[in-house]
Amino acid sequence: MNYPFWDVPLIGGGILIGIVAILHVFVAHFAIGGGLYLALTERKAIKENDQKLINYLKKHSKFFLLVTVVFGALSGVGIWFTIGLVHPSATSTLIHSFVFGWAIEWVFFIVEISAILIYYATWDKLDPKTHNTIGWIYFAGAYLSLVIINGILSFMLTSGKWVDIPFTEPSKKFWVGFFNPSYFPSLFIRTGVALALAGLYSLITATRVEDEELRTKLVQYSGKWLVPAFILIPVAGIWYISIIPPLAREISMGGAPAVTVFAVLSIVFSLIIALFAWLGPIKTPKQTSFAFALGLLVIGFMVTAVTEWVREAVRKPYIIYNYMYSNAILKTQGDKINEIGALNFAKWVSVKEINEENVLKAGEEIFRVQCQSCHTIDGYNGIKKLISGWSENYIDFQLQHLDMLKGFMPPFYGTEQERKALAKWLYSLNEEKTK
Amino acid sequence: MTQQIIIPEPDPIPLPAPYWLLKFLLVLTFILHIIAMNFALGGGIITGITDLIGRKKNSQFHLNLARSFSKMLPIATAFTITLGVAPLLFIQVLYGQYFYTASIILAWPWLSVILLLLIGYYGYYIYQFNFEKLQGVRAWIVLGSAVLFALIGLIYTNTLVLMLTPEKWAQKYFANPHGTNFNFDDPTVIPRYLHFLVASVSVAGLLVLIYGLVKLKSDESFGRWAVRYGGLWFVIGTVVQYATGIWFLLALKKDLMMIFMGGNGVATAVFGISVLLSLVSLILILLSFNAQNPRPLSIFGIVLLFLTIVGMAVMRDILRDAYLSDYFKPEQFEVQPQISVLIVFGIVFIAGLITVGYMLNKVIKAKPVTT
Ligand code: HEM
Repeated sequence: MNYPFWDVPLIGGGILIGIVAILHVFVAHFAIGGGLYLALTERKAIKENDQKLINYLKKHSKFFLLVTVVFGALSGVGIWFTIGLVHPSATSTLIHSFVFGWAIEWVFFIVEISAILIYYATWDKLDPKTHNTIGWIYFAGAYLSLVIINGILSFMLTSGKWVDIPFTEPSKKFWVGFFNPSYFPSLFIRTGVALALAGLYSLITATRVEDEELRTKLVQYSGKWLVPAFILIPVAGIWYISIIPPLAREISMGGAPAVTVFAVLSIVFSLIIALFAWLGPIKTPKQTSFAFALGLLVIGFMVTAVTEWVREAVRKPYIIYNYMYSNAILKTQGDKINEIGALNFAKWVSVKEINEENVLKAGEEIFRVQCQSCHTIDGYNGIKKLISGWSENYIDFQLQHLDMLKGFMPPFYGTEQERKALAKWLYSLNEEKTK
Repeated sequence: MTQQIIIPEPDPIPLPAPYWLLKFLLVLTFILHIIAMNFALGGGIITGITDLIGRKKNSQFHLNLARSFSKMLPIATAFTITLGVAPLLFIQVLYGQYFYTASIILAWPWLSVILLLLIGYYGYYIYQFNFEKLQGVRAWIVLGSAVLFALIGLIYTNTLVLMLTPEKWAQKYFANPHGTNFNFDDPTVIPRYLHFLVASVSVAGLLVLIYGLVKLKSDESFGRWAVRYGGLWFVIGTVVQYATGIWFLLALKKDLMMIFMGGNGVATAVFGISVLLSLVSLILILLSFNAQNPRPLSIFGIVLLFLTIVGMAVMRDILRDAYLSDYFKPEQFEVQPQISVLIVFGIVFIAGLITVGYMLNKVIKAKPVTT
């Protein structure tokens, strides 16, 4: 309500964030796991004095550079741009709560970027040991950036006691928010994902190695990088689910059918990867082809996509748990809005007082500031379809119990007159259709 | 119609550090960002043109320079982005309500920055990795990337100027809430943008000059040539820069212009000193062209130009607060310092510098002189 609402046609802002975020997550975790892969594999090559393996790593590091440094870094900035446009208030909250958390993260970025650029450029220039050290520095920078960002991301779902600590205890507030209840399970899950993606991506380059002996060895070796994930992710996953807010658990396990389907898909796809990674690269590395590796990577991408989607969905009705609703209304502002009215409270509306003439326009503006952050009109999660066939009275009745109608919607805030205006406008959508 | 002014409330969360510290970090990291940007954008322009000249005249010097710079461009781009992240953080901390609003009004152009950057960045890598293979088209690839980067700068100026003029927001937003606006109706946008664009060519010219200084040891005639060639880019760019600067100054509203002309003592002093420093720098670089040893003169010139950039960045910040003086009151910030976090940041920052220093040291020791 504080910021102008950016009207993204058809897909809505949420899907836009989703697209950028999924692409980023899929590459960023590779940037972390892949760093360990480079450092460890190089160490192995040095120990075994295996020049062929070194040559493979040289090529692989180019692939790594082009994927992570360019696409990984830029899509990360892309998420930041997108959330700032779609959810400015929430972005502002994350920025202001963790200013120096972000600043610390930034230092790790600088180390990470410097290290990988040097690593790639100095294969033939530094002695192997020093070169390997640069690889380790890269991995340390990358992993530490996960250690930081994980605190801020997990905070959004499990803000924990952060909400109750007053701003007059700023340091305590920071750390309590940062090391929130899902911090560690989240970190372990992400670590597992990073290792698995290191394996999946390196299969892409490994299956294309010419030399058959090296290829067989590498394919099997890369396939084994998936194994820790299949222990780490289920264990940390159960821990994670046991710790998230009850409502979030409910949404993912039956409460909201679509979310549940996606959650199940995430598990099914993961099991498919586990099975085929076992049958392919690990058991029959010689026969494992590039196409097979690509197929695994695509399924890996699907896991990322559905999991990210679930992770976003279960946070509803909040964008920052117990603090800010998905429509940027602070939990503490509800009473005030009920008292002075949503239109009065909102900044970017052209109607302030409702009268006979502007009642529909008022309804539309209320929809924009309170509902449109999750609903479009005709597109994704389109409201027209959802209320089709409802009478004006029934709509008004449901508006009074939005938070009960679906557990994952925030309550409606505003005066009775405003609620009626919203109902009238929503109903007018129905009429439009029947005309 | 009366002008409707809507300004979002600042975030209710207090600042975790004193205002001056955050401001300092904003300006400091902006300077670093803009220098890297100058290398990435101006470097791309110079490299492309140098490559074209080299092929046309069959000049090895030109081609050698283009080849060397093809390796520099992606690195400069990586640092433009990474060093841009920091001011992006601090600007949201201090000016969030202005920044978000302006970017939402220009949402699609603003978001397109990411796509333009992605394409331009890969263009630079294509140029580097296929330098020998591509021959004829390669200069156009690098110039194409540079054009995309130049567009990004234009979008930045559009947004960052709109951010300073809240009077225009409501009218723009209500006329078009879909985020497909621009801000070209503001007369300062074009001169301000050109002032950045031309600067990037000048500063990248200095990078060529520095490269020449490094090369002097191993290849005297090539080094000499690069010193002069880069210096010439710098000199021409800087002369044009005086024109765009004056245009920008005159395009400002009178009361804003006047802060640099006596209205505000500090602003006027910084302005005067910066212009003076750039003039001296220009002369020193010119003198270094024919000097027995170009090193001392040109290094001194480079240092002075760096100070000019610092001065200009400070002026830009004073100008921002002058634009917003009716709304933005630093003393209204509530500050609740997160001491322990600041300490962790300080330690990590120093450790980070040491780590990067360690790596650079290894690189320099491994391969002295060349880049
Ligand atoms: C090739 C890419 C880029 C170019 C050419 C570029 C260019 C510019 C220019 C010309 C300005 C000053 C505009 C003005 O004041 O009128 C600017 C400011 C800024 N840039 Fe960049 N930029 C690029 C990429 C980025 C990226 C990727 C980020 C963030 C991650 C970024 C962050 C910033 C910020 C935060 C400012 C404003 C700082 C302040 O107002 O104090 N830039 N950039």
